[in-house]
Amino acid sequence: MSLHYTFPPAAGYPLNRCLYRIKSDDAFRERYLADPDTTLKEAGLDPERIAALRTLDRDRLLALGAHAYLVFMAGLRLKMATAPQTFERF
Amino acid sequence: MLRVHDAYAGIKRGLAAARPDIICIIGGDHIEGFFLTSVPALAVYVGSTVSGKFDRYRYTFDVHEPLARALLEQSIERGFDLTYSQDLALDYAFYVPLHFAMPEPRVPIVPLYVNVYLPPQPTPARCYAWGETLRAILDARPERVALLASGGLSHFPGSDRYNSPDFDWDRQMLDRLIAGRGRETAALTGEELDKAGNVEFRTWITLLGAVGDAKARVVCYEPSWHHGNAVVTWPIA
Repeated sequence: MSLHYTFPPAAGYPLNRCLYRIKSDDAFRERYLADPDTTLKEAGLDPERIAALRTLDRDRLLALGAHAYLVFMAGLRLKMATAPQTFERF
Repeated sequence: MLRVHDAYAGIKRGLAAARPDIICIIGGDHIEGFFLTSVPALAVYVGSTVSGKFDRYRYTFDVHEPLARALLEQSIERGFDLTYSQDLALDYAFYVPLHFAMPEPRVPIVPLYVNVYLPPQPTPARCYAWGETLRAILDARPERVALLASGGLSHFPGSDRYNSPDFDWDRQMLDRLIAGRGRETAALTGEELDKAGNVEFRTWITLLGAVGDAKARVVCYEPSWHHGNAVVTWPIA
């Protein structure tokens, strides 16, 4: 059985760093939403990784070394930024 | 979800009645305070205050530095080589339960970290043993200390099992804890926890090391479409 949460390979670091910043760095997330391609290119991602992240293609992102939780929460934070009315608050 | 809120309200009343000087909270960082720049297995926050944010929510807590430092130094003396930090963003695993359970007037906290999401995580046996050590250190302190654990139960964020948590695993585990068999959790494996969507159960196991064979009182267990939610107390003498 393969695990749900696995060791993030070093080759995936730039991708994981972008996902982490979309999740937790408000300024980076805003920059990404305004100009995704430039923001990700400046953060060191190649076109393949930029395409995977922009489409939030989970299987592809995981194959490129992304951590499953970071994919999940980066996607959630992007949805919260673009469709905030769909989320409940406590 | 409202039943979980009610359960939290009960915890808040119980904490107020227990009049703790400090709340130590064991949580699993969701790759918020600790990114891949450094991944500690076990850590303690030793600063004067700690803050975290998510969307519109903003939290700041006073940290009880003398106790945080004592837990750091004495854990190391007893063979647990903890990481410490004086500058970390607080993760929601810490401030969400405190949002609901912090008594009035507020008391300072000590955030205790167990790595749950970035393999290789500490083994359940190691978590349990650290919990035993935490109890020994806390028992010798002059302050009244409440110990909380935050995490779990079954959920699979970011995986293709997100909409099918392992509620049976949760219920069987809670039955064990009600029977005072928390010690058995030290024999779980990391693979079992991952498979059950319970990588975060390590925070519970750490607390179980501290409460020993005390029988759990399950205040509530509420499955949702993506998550098993439990609120549990361990009355200890």
